[in-house]
Amino acid sequence: MQSAISRRWGCWLDRAAVAFCAGALLAVGCGKLLTTEPELGERFDQPVAGLDNGELGDFQDGQVQFRRAFSIGDGLGPIFNNSSCASCHSGDGRGRPENVLVRFSRGVDLALSEGGPQIQTRAVPGAHSESLPVGVDVSHRLPPAVFGVGFIEAITESTILSHADPSDSDQDGVSGRPNWVTPAPYVPATEPGGGTAPRIGRFGRKAQVAALMQQVVEAYHQDMGVTSPQRPTENVNPLAPAVPGADDAEDPEVGDAQVHDVSQYLRMLAPPTPGEWTDARRRGETLFAGARCTACHLPTTRTGYHEIEAISGRDVAIYSDFLLHDMGDGLADNRPDGDADGREWRTAPLWGLRIAREFLNGELFLLHDGRAHTVDEAIRLHGGEGAAARDAFLALPPSDRAAVLDFVESR
Amino acid sequence: MRTRVAGYAIAVAAGTILLWSGPAAAGGAPIVHGRPDKIAWGAYGEIRIAEDRVRGVTDPEWFSFGRVGGFLTARASSRLDLAAEGAYDRSSEDFTLERLEAAYRLRPSLGFHAGIFLVPLGRSNLNHESPLYEFDERSLVATQLIGVPHAQLGAGAQGGLGTANEWPLTFEVDVVTGYGEGIVMDAAGGTRIASGRLNYGDDNGVPALAGRIAAHPSQNTEIGLAAETGRYNRTVIDGVEVDQARYAHVVVADLASRAAGFDVAAEAAVVMVDVPPGIGTLYAERQWGAAFEASRPLLNPLFRSWKGSSLTGAIRADAVDLDRAILGDSRMRVSASLNARPRAGTVARVGWYYELRRDRFNNETPAAGLTLSLSSYF
Repeated sequence: MQSAISRRWGCWLDRAAVAFCAGALLAVGCGKLLTTEPELGERFDQPVAGLDNGELGDFQDGQVQFRRAFSIGDGLGPIFNNSSCASCHSGDGRGRPENVLVRFSRGVDLALSEGGPQIQTRAVPGAHSESLPVGVDVSHRLPPAVFGVGFIEAITESTILSHADPSDSDQDGVSGRPNWVTPAPYVPATEPGGGTAPRIGRFGRKAQVAALMQQVVEAYHQDMGVTSPQRPTENVNPLAPAVPGADDAEDPEVGDAQVHDVSQYLRMLAPPTPGEWTDARRRGETLFAGARCTACHLPTTRTGYHEIEAISGRDVAIYSDFLLHDMGDGLADNRPDGDADGREWRTAPLWGLRIAREFLNGELFLLHDGRAHTVDEAIRLHGGEGAAARDAFLALPPSDRAAVLDFVESR
Repeated sequence: MRTRVAGYAIAVAAGTILLWSGPAAAGGAPIVHGRPDKIAWGAYGEIRIAEDRVRGVTDPEWFSFGRVGGFLTARASSRLDLAAEGAYDRSSEDFTLERLEAAYRLRPSLGFHAGIFLVPLGRSNLNHESPLYEFDERSLVATQLIGVPHAQLGAGAQGGLGTANEWPLTFEVDVVTGYGEGIVMDAAGGTRIASGRLNYGDDNGVPALAGRIAAHPSQNTEIGLAAETGRYNRTVIDGVEVDQARYAHVVVADLASRAAGFDVAAEAAVVMVDVPPGIGTLYAERQWGAAFEASRPLLNPLFRSWKGSSLTGAIRADAVDLDRAILGDSRMRVSASLNARPRAGTVARVGWYYELRRDRFNNETPAAGLTLSLSSYF
């Protein structure tokens, strides 16, 4: 009798389990268990608002290429630093110290015969990775965030020049000058930042690159060892050439379409939304301006015309003037780059700091080589033209300093 | 959306036809035609419709063939069996010749085989046909660390080893072609064993050793330990020596049993790869993972008048760490499925999975899917 009851109970239990599972699976179809899209402005890899369908399609194509990890069979190497764009730019944000790129030269000589201007630390079988020659000028560069570069590209040269004060004519201790660079020969005049005449550099830690397309081509070539129609010859270690079959992928290993897709993707990446305003943050903003941090970290910049309408004619809070500033001995790498000397750095944009830690395992790496782990530390390391603003910050009472830091970290 | 709805309708219609067509199966065996004691053949297919989402964005690829293949066996004599099996498999995105072998039974407890066969690298590689499985997707251990289906050219012996602790022991030991240099050369973003599985070729000319020993404590329980070890790379390219010999080792432990009304199975794998120093910090030297699954018949039969039918519920948890040297490059997943079998060898399956993927920065990407699949021998 007990056995019969037990069997019947077991049968109903099974049916209840079936009903429960079926209900749960139905709920899954309409619910969060199939994952949800993150809120806009909470990541670095989202498109800017206002793109049309064609542009969104380009964005998707570019994202695939940006995240594509190359295998050795695909053309990675023979010498390289990493296997994809995304493997240096965490979540499309900044990189980590283990991804730092090592640039070197002998003065303005890029030391090409010694493997310059960048050390490739990895090599496929049959090739030899590079090592740093003795007595060269060395600069460690943390991969920067790549969101919002379309807005940076869309800022007119006249806007950047309007903030320049190379001879410090207003005698505020902050000069600021553009880095005039000659675009690579493969960048056509139709490309933003392209042509044969010198252009204002705006990309890179020393604003040493004027055209986004050049940045993409060089990243493929130098960072991944992937050839393109613009750079069709493999980057090799000149001191220890690879055996002929080491990288037997057909060159170019990516085509014009991939270079275009990645460039367009980067152009359309939106900066994250700044944090909500609080009283403390408003006070921090006022103190930030009062300490004259805004002499270089310009709060708002207006973009000019761009083919992508969504980034054209917008006021954007980048917090940079894209000019070179002498940052003192402490931050100097003593390596010239284009017009920039060994003490000068492009003003680092501050946007995106609010969520930067989320993509760096809770850590933060600031300044050109990631040596600063907090905004406070980064400010304290300012020298040269930034010394007065640093001192003004340090002179504030602790609560005011906290307000400034809260404001900066909310951008 | 209309296309997708139409696709569901077509799949359901196809499934309905498939479910009620063909001869009935005996027990849990695949449906075969012909005579197993002479010449027999059969085929199987799996179609899969899915709503796969990565961080809330739907994958446009909603329809796929999970696996389509056929097999042929012939008994040449009382001691000699010949078998051939080939299949397109979604995991390899390729057609693989899984069996083309001759098996000779010297005595009941000892046989030899040669040709192309499934390497005895764990239960999931030896038993991976969808109609007999409870999930739409294989475990991460199977797909990422073993590379199921993993069939190679080779020769070996299999049979019984007597008993240990009164548990009957069985074994298989083979010399096979081994993994190829694709483990690193064709792997994008890190070491991937599945990229180096070779079917009937060998790029380095040096055979690998594979084997499995299994204990059977009871009729429903099997405990297995398997390994494959061998050289995977080429040392000479175009006549020039480029590297020294490098080795890959895969060790798999598996368990299958029945307890408290549940069929349980577990599989764990460890991968050790000797990676060339030039790519050492990007390509992992150590990987590991584990999978645990439990299933239980919920209705048997589905309806009183439907003899031989059943409904089974199953859950699985699996995880792989694809680079032990860093925090990221890992995947964790939970899956659940309901398997309706109108007859043995045919299953209509509703499944769900939720997975957390971590890149090499340890950034987390959630992915999930609701799947509807139909697989059957026919």
